[in-house]
Amino acid sequence: MKAAARLSSPLLLGTIGLLLILPWLIGAEYYLHIAITALVFVILATSLDLLVGYAGLLSLGHTAFFAFGAYAAALLYLHFGVPLWITLFVSGGFAALIAWLLGLLVLSVRGHRFVIMTLVFAEMGRLIAYNWTDLTHGQVGLPGIRPPVLSIPGLVHIDFAYRPAYYYLALFVTVACVAIIWRIADSPVGWRMLALRENERLAEASGVDTQRIATTAFVVSAFFAGLAGSLYAHYNGFISPDLFYFSYTTTMLIMVYLGGKGTIIGPVIGAVLFTILPEALRVTANFRLMTFSLILLLLVVFAPEGLVGLIGKLRRRASAGEKAGNA
Amino acid sequence: MDFIPQYLFNGLVVGCSYALIAVGLTAIFGLMEIANFAHGQFYMLGAFFAYWLTRIAGLDFWTGLAASVIGVMLVGVLLERTLFRFLRGASLSSSVLATIALSIFLENLALNIWGPRPQKIISPFESGGIELLGIFTTPDRLSMLFLTFLMVLILHVCLRHTHTGKAIRATFQQREAAALVGINIDHLYTLTFAVGAGLAALAGVLLGTIFVVQPSMGGVATLKAFIVVTLGGASSFAGGIAGGLLLGLAESFGAIIAPSYKDAVGFILVILVLLYKPNGLFGKRT
Repeated sequence: MKAAARLSSPLLLGTIGLLLILPWLIGAEYYLHIAITALVFVILATSLDLLVGYAGLLSLGHTAFFAFGAYAAALLYLHFGVPLWITLFVSGGFAALIAWLLGLLVLSVRGHRFVIMTLVFAEMGRLIAYNWTDLTHGQVGLPGIRPPVLSIPGLVHIDFAYRPAYYYLALFVTVACVAIIWRIADSPVGWRMLALRENERLAEASGVDTQRIATTAFVVSAFFAGLAGSLYAHYNGFISPDLFYFSYTTTMLIMVYLGGKGTIIGPVIGAVLFTILPEALRVTANFRLMTFSLILLLLVVFAPEGLVGLIGKLRRRASAGEKAGNA
Repeated sequence: MDFIPQYLFNGLVVGCSYALIAVGLTAIFGLMEIANFAHGQFYMLGAFFAYWLTRIAGLDFWTGLAASVIGVMLVGVLLERTLFRFLRGASLSSSVLATIALSIFLENLALNIWGPRPQKIISPFESGGIELLGIFTTPDRLSMLFLTFLMVLILHVCLRHTHTGKAIRATFQQREAAALVGINIDHLYTLTFAVGAGLAALAGVLLGTIFVVQPSMGGVATLKAFIVVTLGGASSFAGGIAGGLLLGLAESFGAIIAPSYKDAVGFILVILVLLYKPNGLFGKRT
């Protein structure tokens, strides 16, 4: 793990440099829009990876936490004028609280029952957002959520409605989130999650409080999904119950599996690729979801380790070939 | 309180379709240990096959029904022989994701072929209601009830008294031991899968005469069927049937209290069951 990190550090620096000058490279507003969307999905995919890839808990309700976060941010902004700086944390906290409460109920079961419960939970969320019209305006949705303005009199004045400015904001938030998620994954907490995934009984016998670690994974991943919801709401300016749709969860899962689950970096790559790919495949709009589902199907069956796993396999083969050549 | 029998009856009709879908799902889940998230798509395909055969190809209803059920069974066999062979013994998350992908694929295939507009299968009966013991009903609904009970009866007899039925029950209990005494597991899986798919298709055709047929109906059906399996317990046929009827009735009465939250009833039921009877209402202790 350490060696891999050292090897890729020039690559990492290069990527960060590229990300910083991106607005100059791709001038057009439309491409910047895709970049910001990709950043939001990077947070969603990496946080889902913590739950699915590390703790081995397949959740089909991840988008509900995203949507709950977005609604929290929207309502706080529209009713009380609370800016993004605060809604980021409140949205995350709100989603985490819901996850904790839900966890009390659903984390007592594993396997297919957990999967179903998370799916039904997201559906419940959509029903609430759809039917509680006094608060959410139902299907009409909530428009008018503005990006923040950073203003210190006489010093700086940045209006983040300016798209490149929001890009840097989103970049900063995303990098911070991914760094924190990475730290968690590569800490004793992350190792316990792996133990839970590999063999729950064995983990328990080795002194891991599996219930607690499952709750931690669930709550932390929900926190970041909620935070991403706030980042999205303030950017997009409009939210509706559609955010609860199952297709969002599917998209996130494809990103995780495409990149390689349980690697954090994999879902980052997956999220970027899978935000760009659909835009590039616009021509076949009718067959888009068919293509996606086919990709997911092939991935799960033939390349369950994703791109990161494939690259690793190729690299190992190459180094084995080198050794054979030297000998 | 006059309306109570009516709601009871409505719930029973919808519950029958849930039961038909859930029985196949339970069988596949219990026997092959694959959580098939594409199962509801068999229900959708059944309805669309029948719609296509009766409305476009011009067959009469009963021939269309039989042909569409057989067609879906063939699709089931094809899928079982290919994709589901791959998934046998795969981890839960792999099989869940693969079947979800299959489900999305089939739904969008239907969308591309038949379009998003809700369609209707023309009922073989004359339109017009029947009033029976103070309950208003239609012949379609009665035939739904009748055919479900008939199917359950046939299934029961087959499982109890035929050689194959006994083999299925044996495999249900102990797969390895069943294989050891010479039961051909592969054939059994294909058969179970085909029958499960066919029952879901039957539910789709019958409900398609009462409600509407559209590509998105499969995903909803999958969700409901899994709720039923969680309610009834994943290890018994009777549980699947009882769970289906229970969910249908609960939703029907939930609609009296809060119509817009009708679909939340299943969620609440599942939570209650998980809290108090984690193995399902009719599940065996593990």
